[in-house]
Amino acid sequence: MDQSQGKALQLDVDHAAFIQGAVSVVVGSRNTQHVPDVVRGCGCRVSRDRRRVTVLVEAARSGSVLENIAANGLVAVVFSQPSTHRTIQLKGSDARLTRVTGADRGIAQRHLLAWVQDLRLIGYATEFARAVRGEAPDLAAVTFTLTSAFQQTPGPAAGKRLAQ
Amino acid sequence: MTPPITLHSIRACLEGAVPAVVATCSGDGTPNVSYISEVHYVDPGHVALSYQFFSKTRQNVLENPRATVLVIHPDTGAQYKLAAAYLRTEDSGPLFECMKAKLAGIASHAGMTGVFRLRGADVYRVDSVTEVYRTALAPAATSASSLAQLRCCIERLSAASDLASLLDTLLDSLRDVFDIRHSMVLMREPAGEALHTVASRGYTASGVGAEIRPGEGVIGTAALARTPIRIAHATSEFGYGRAMREDAARFGITAGIEDAIPFPGLPESQSQVAVPILAGERLLGVLFAESTETGRFGYDEEDALVVLASYVGTVAAMLEEDEATDAEKPGRSGPRTGATWSADPGAPLRRERQHLRRRRIHDQGCGRRDPVEAAV
Repeated sequence: MDQSQGKALQLDVDHAAFIQGAVSVVVGSRNTQHVPDVVRGCGCRVSRDRRRVTVLVEAARSGSVLENIAANGLVAVVFSQPSTHRTIQLKGSDARLTRVTGADRGIAQRHLLAWVQDLRLIGYATEFARAVRGEAPDLAAVTFTLTSAFQQTPGPAAGKRLAQ
Repeated sequence: MTPPITLHSIRACLEGAVPAVVATCSGDGTPNVSYISEVHYVDPGHVALSYQFFSKTRQNVLENPRATVLVIHPDTGAQYKLAAAYLRTEDSGPLFECMKAKLAGIASHAGMTGVFRLRGADVYRVDSVTEVYRTALAPAATSASSLAQLRCCIERLSAASDLASLLDTLLDSLRDVFDIRHSMVLMREPAGEALHTVASRGYTASGVGAEIRPGEGVIGTAALARTPIRIAHATSEFGYGRAMREDAARFGITAGIEDAIPFPGLPESQSQVAVPILAGERLLGVLFAESTETGRFGYDEEDALVVLASYVGTVAAMLEEDEATDAEKPGRSGPRTGATWSADPGAPLRRERQHLRRRRIHDQGCGRRDPVEAAV
């Protein structure tokens, strides 16, 4: 991982696979008064060069988060696998709303199934997990170039930049 | 009309059953998102977030106090956003102890024992609560109105004429009215800090006389910090079983049979709640309840036990005053049966315990619902 902040980073293959797997996706933004906002996402995809990430969110739940991103381009996204607690956070400063493709809808559907299955491993009922995630019929997509990446698995190493 | 959403109305989201996330923003305007192990309900206008490591979240709120917390209802999956502002960090005292015990339970449940260690309770003011997302799932049904249940218990307790009947009625009422089937009262020795079991319900052995030291397990922590301690998942850190067994073994060698009374308790206990019984600021004892069911005691049950313990503490203090007044009267040779425990350090509680033991043996012959063994 290139660690120079402010320049485009490249995710390694392992982390790229991890964030596109059975992980919780949580998207954060902030408004002009520096008040933060947050919404749970519905999956993501990584660009071919692994320097850009597109996160999918349910539009109806994400209004203020998307407004903030449209206004200032700043975004922070946490990816965490419930069954292992493995967690990373990616940040960007050029985030913008992008077109949702047919492939994105397939990604969101596969994410739903994988995420529910991971929650089942740690005792959550399928019905509950599906309710939390929702079917997300109206997707929105946010694409950003990686500017920083952090380890965030619970423990003393949380907050450190991702090692290459 | 749908009632407004308040912090109080979504307390179930703050039980730690489903992890919460918090968004913050640094002084230079960079957003950050982090998982929070424990969001604790402090009062209708405040929550406290567990501070375990010096994180970006903590650094950010020291620069810019605004935070948004996203919580999930453990029954319905509905999501709520709390607009919050960081106020202060507490690293000791009742709130800290309460969160520390609860965090130990959450860590145990999450397989993170040893990783989660509370360094502080970060207190936030909550400015608004908004519903982000509603689901089709219904919340778990509550059995009855807590107020009606409390009224029933208080009416029963009002009939008690001495300490022994007061405590017996308390535990019977928990069983009959709240369906809390395993409970006990421990009282503090006036001359010391140790707590001794004086009454129990639902255990194979009554354990009357068994000792808990301050700071030991949920009971000792509730006593030491003068605050309710409630955990929804079993945790070895705050368990009493192992420590008690070790104590019993140690005392078995060094002390007499009186001290070797095994602590009662459920070997498969999952949920525990311990509430101090106070007379003003003075600790009289602890009311304890437990269950093999995970998450058996919620905020509502804790509220109810706090109210009942408060009532019992007040009545016990009044009985104590009556006792002291009677003892001063000419011709009065000593305390009545049902004596209290502070006028003559040590003696009144010992008498009380002896009295309870006599009653227990007597009760065994009366078809009691919870048969108990003779401890001595």
